[in-house]
Order: sequence, then structure tokens, then C-alpha cells
Amino acid sequence: MDREQLIKYIQDKFPGKVTLLDCGRVEPFFKVELGFLKEFCQAIRDDTTLGMDYLCNIAGVDSGEHYEVVYSVASVKNKIRFDFKIFPERENPAIDSVIDVWPGANWYEREVWELYGINITGHPSLKRFLLPDDWNQGHPMRKNWDAPDFVRMPEN
Amino acid sequence: MSEIDKLQTEEFVLNMGPHHPSTHGVCRFVLKMEGEVIKDVEPVVGYLHRALEKICENRTYAQIIPVTDRFEYCTSMSCNMAFALAVEKLAAMEIPERAQYLRIIMLELNRIASHLIWFGTTALDLGAITPFLYGFREREFILDLFEMTCGQRLTYNYIRVGGVARDIPTQFVPKCREFLNIFDACVDDYERLLTENVIFVVRNKNVGVLPPEKAIAWGVSGPALRASGVKHDLRRDDPYCIYDRFDFEIPTCQNGDCYDRYIIRIKEMRESAKIVRQALDKLPEGETRAKVKMVFKPPAGEVYSRIENSRGEMGMYVISDGSTKPVRVKMRGGSYNQLQVIPEITRGHKIADLVAIMASMDVIMPEVDR
Repeated sequence: MDREQLIKYIQDKFPGKVTLLDCGRVEPFFKVELGFLKEFCQAIRDDTTLGMDYLCNIAGVDSGEHYEVVYSVASVKNKIRFDFKIFPERENPAIDSVIDVWPGANWYEREVWELYGINITGHPSLKRFLLPDDWNQGHPMRKNWDAPDFVRMPEN
Repeated sequence: MSEIDKLQTEEFVLNMGPHHPSTHGVCRFVLKMEGEVIKDVEPVVGYLHRALEKICENRTYAQIIPVTDRFEYCTSMSCNMAFALAVEKLAAMEIPERAQYLRIIMLELNRIASHLIWFGTTALDLGAITPFLYGFREREFILDLFEMTCGQRLTYNYIRVGGVARDIPTQFVPKCREFLNIFDACVDDYERLLTENVIFVVRNKNVGVLPPEKAIAWGVSGPALRASGVKHDLRRDDPYCIYDRFDFEIPTCQNGDCYDRYIIRIKEMRESAKIVRQALDKLPEGETRAKVKMVFKPPAGEVYSRIENSRGEMGMYVISDGSTKPVRVKMRGGSYNQLQVIPEITRGHKIADLVAIMASMDVIMPEVDR
């Protein structure tokens, strides 16, 4: 399945819920509606044509204006790969956990929760992961966070 | 009823690490034990967290290459490669032929070097010292080759966006051939030490069995996935660089236990040597680096690119907004998922088996903590 076929297949399968973004440079990049995430993941994994059984990566992103959570998925059997992202709300961001679909998502989600402060609904153990146990300085991967001893260089 | 039968047993919690020599870095395991049997394991990570991803957001693309060296220092070349590849995909860049071949040579030599560390430390964890000395003897050869090429022995900063930093010196090719000529016999030596060693086999056979469906669901990749019988190698299945021009096998095993993971890596070393030999034969003359502007600004866009390094899938997710610095760099290493799956395959084994499993998964902590 080449890029165009893949885009068409996914858009036909999930009309209205999934839109193609133009930011993807090699593999196609989709936007998935916030509430539709878990259903979408389940569907692309169980679909025999796609069979996205392998979760490569989950990355939190803070673009400055909004948060994003990016999922990179692959199919070992069908050799397909694409990415999709969801946009949690700016205030009290929260997304559904996809551990039921890919158990390997566990630590990725913990990381997103810890470093971006995006709540993961349905995650069994949201506790300190990379940061020290007594950490109380917020979510360091957010763009508006600077280390206490960090001095930003002037722009020019 | 004797006194000893009246004693109550109960579950207890045992702390292993963070400074345990078999954790290959700094990792702590919280073990729930019943006698000598592990009921549950919880890996506690983060001791080596250096905020590499945050650092990357404040660096230019050229400055990030040495940061990626520290991501997974056993195979720094492939970290450089993963990042350079992602940026090249963003900028749709053409790489000169000679640079392509040099990259393959370096990546495969680095894979061998990494597997040699694994070979030595695995045996060391299981109580054998000799393999460690043998493994590091040959690794020294490779490190000398790298030192000759880029001046560094661990953090190379050699593969850059657009090609490689500089051409190889004239002595490189004969020295490398000299190494390849002895290397196959060296691997035979390693196999004589461990492959049929009774203690080693008993410690590894049927320990930490990882079924293929579970391996895929947990995101396990690389030799650990192939040991479970899944023929998945990104060099073949999602070819990057010029791997499609080389002739090499992808070894697989069936059982998915620690012993199979050992066999896979031994076979992979031979295959890597085969690739280096072919690359040396075909190495063309010419430029080693495409023209890259001093102030390099890739066009806006996002890309997740992945390569196969010695521990599995190494991915780099890079977002560019068209400025000199990336918006986001996410590093994904194979060890992350391999460590995550360890509790699943350790339950019911003894503590000494956890050491064997940890060694066979070839987990390296800086890759997990970043």
C-alpha cells in the first residue's frame, strides 16, 4: 500500500473523525478527534488490511499555543507506517490511555503525563518516572518552563 | 509437625540496585519476592535523566549531533545517523555516494562493537570473566578505527546532516580489512567459549521466554524480537540509507528465550562483518558531504524516522518550524521497550534469572532515561 492508497483507505474508513495534515514529510500525518482516540487505535489494530500492531513512539509536544500528543504506529506484518496526533485542550489537558490496545504504551504515557502535565485517563500507574521523587517544579517540557538557574540568551 | 513447618511465610520486598553491576547503567528494581521466586518486578528509572530532549530544543541542528552521541553511547554512530536521517528527510537532501558507503561501514562496525560489549558483559553477569576480555580485545580494534577517522573513541560526532564529517584516512581501509580477516575466527572463539558451555546453556535456556505476539504488542524490537521468531529488521523492511544494495541474512530463532537472544547477536556480528566487507569493496571516490548552509534551516514539517541499531528500533521524531532550532526532538530507543517488558517475562523466575534476562535484553540505561 503506497502513501496515496493509505491516505484514501483511512479517510474512507473513518469519515469526519480523521483529517489529513500537511505537516508529514515522509509518512502521512493524520489528526484524530480527541474523544475518538481509543476507538481509532482499536480499529486500526484490528483491521486486517492495516494491522497496526506495533506502537513505535508516543511523543508529547508543546508548540507554544497548544499541546499535541503524537503517535507513530507501524505494522510488522503489512509493513505500513504512519503517524497521527491529537490536540488535548489547553486548560486541564487530558487524553485516553491506549494501554489496552498496545501495552507498550504504558511508559510513553507516563512520560507524557510527567513532562507535559497531560492527564492520561485510564492509566493504571501514573507516578513519578524520569524526574526525582520529590520533584515539585511543574512540567519541564512545557515551552514556558525554564530551569531555575537558566538564563535565556537575548534573541540577537 | 516440626517447628520449621509451623513458620509462617510471607511476601517481602527486595531492592536491587540502583548501583547493581548487572543493571548496565543505573537502574533499580523493586522485587516482590516469595522465598527465592520473583512474584513481581517494578523497574525504577530516571537516575540518568539528563533532559536531552529539552536541551535539543535550545540548540541548532548542528549542535544537536553531539547531544545525540550521549543518547546511547554504545552505538553513538547510529544515534548521529538517526538524527541526521530525520533532518535529511525534512530537508529532502541528496547525500553523496561515498558518504553513504562510509555511513554503512561506520554503522555496521559500531553494531559489532556494541554487540561485543553485550557479549562481554552478559558473560560477566553470569559469572564468566574470559569472554569479557575477548570481546573487549576485538572492540579495541574497532575503536582504533574510529579514533583514526574522527578522533574519538566513544562519542563520535561523525555522521552529520548531509554526509559525514570528514573522509577516512588512507590507512583505514587496509586496517579495516585486517580486522575483518581475523574477525570471523574471533567469533568462532567466542562461540567455543559460550555456545555449548553447560553452565551458560542451563542459565539461559527457557529463561525469560517472550512469545512473538507479546513481543510485538510491547514494542520490543531488534535482536530480542527476532529471537522470538519475528523476521523484522528495518534494514530490510523499511530500508534507509543504501541497505537495499547489500546482501546479508536476517537471522531468526524460535523460542524467544535468553539463549536465542544470545545466538541471534552472535549471528548478527557475522552478518555485519559481511556488510562491511561488501561496502569496502564498493566504496566509490568522491565528495563526503553535501553542501549544507552555515545557517541551516530545514523547511517546516514533522518526521518520525527510524533505523535499526544494535538494540532495535531507534527513532527520532523531529518537528521543524523553519527556524534554526527544532521545536521538538523526541528520541526513542529500543531499550525503553525492552526494559518495559522485563516484568512480564520475569515473574516466576529467580533473582539470578533476572540478571540473565536483563543481560540478554541488552538494556542500556542512558537510552531509557535520556
